Amino acid sequence: MAKKLDIPNADDEALVRSAQRGAMPPYEELVHRHRDKIYARAFSMLRNEDEALDISQEAWVKGWQRLKQFKHNASFTTWMTRICINLCLDFLRKRKRKPTSSLDQMEEESGGVERFMPVEQFNPTEKAEREELRAQIDEGMAKLSYEHRTVLILHEFEQLGYKEVSKAMHCSIGTVMSRLFYARRKLATLLISLKKERQK
Amino acid sequence: MKIGEMKQEDILRIQAWMDGELAPKEAARVATLIEQNPEALALSEELRVVENALHLGEKPAILDDSRDFYWSQIERKIDAEEPLLEPYAAPVLASGNLLRWMVPVGSLGAIVVLMMNYGAMNPQPQPSTPGITPDAPASTPTGLTEPAGAMEEQNAEPGGMGVINFQGSQGSRHLTDPEDPNTLPESIENPDR
Repeated sequence: MAKKLDIPNADDEALVRSAQRGAMPPYEELVHRHRDKIYARAFSMLRNEDEALDISQEAWVKGWQRLKQFKHNASFTTWMTRICINLCLDFLRKRKRKPTSSLDQMEEESGGVERFMPVEQFNPTEKAEREELRAQIDEGMAKLSYEHRTVLILHEFEQLGYKEVSKAMHCSIGTVMSRLFYARRKLATLLISLKKERQK
Repeated sequence: MKIGEMKQEDILRIQAWMDGELAPKEAARVATLIEQNPEALALSEELRVVENALHLGEKPAILDDSRDFYWSQIERKIDAEEPLLEPYAAPVLASGNLLRWMVPVGSLGAIVVLMMNYGAMNPQPQPSTPGITPDAPASTPTGLTEPAGAMEEQNAEPGGMGVINFQGSQGSRHLTDPEDPNTLPESIENPDR
């Protein structure tokens, strides 16, 4: 007779294996454990609470439907995060909300105005507290266009290489490189101006 | 210090070098450039600072919804979508598809078999008009005017249709040659007209 799964104390892998056999309660436990992480990724990409909530729930629905395809090669949360990112990218492509994209694109193509700005040095660990710096980064990220924000998220936070980012974003590696550079320079400038603002 | 004078290509190479995306030979070339060019060095330092700042992590986002409420919404969506998915996996559908094709194919096959055997099964027709006798050869023991095989061969020759030749049934109806340009409708011959 199969041993009954101790759901609250079981590890993710045991819960996933049980859910792959069709059991819903272990999947519910997985949702409870990782819902904040999935929601946070959706929010960081969409910058809208309601949309992030909808997309995160849709990701969990897709996760359940495709659970049998999960081969345990990566962690369950990595797999779920990829599903969430793909849904966010689809959503953003459909919405095509680009309030500053035309200007950004022009600057990006010409090398960007940031190229002609002095290279500023700042040390994030000196004065700013860790949480304050995180808040500054968050503020800076919110000011980027979704293309630049997404490329930073995928490369810096999800550790994807240029090729993987280009595949996810349906663009060339050259575009990924220039977007990444522009996003970093812009973020650096935003962080410096935020720092100066708070020092006043 | 400004990086305005640097080539865009070199700037992106420096970034790729920092991201570990360059091949060893190219990486060595960029490393030399950074050592020798102060602008390249300054740029690499700034990119490093941004990278370190980002590595502090993201601001955590916390869901306001209660666990149960959040899950209930997901569960409802799963329940709503599952009945739509199940019929596609049902094996009944496969046999249904098979039957759908077997019925017309089987019927067509039966018609062909009947037509092929028509000559063999059909007894010699009796003359309906008194006084006219068919010139059936006495040598055919079955009573057919001709052996079935000979009938097939004769019919197969002119029309190339095999068992049944529809040429005779078309009679004298005039059919246009589809490849004759004079017979093409105006709209096809010259669409601009």
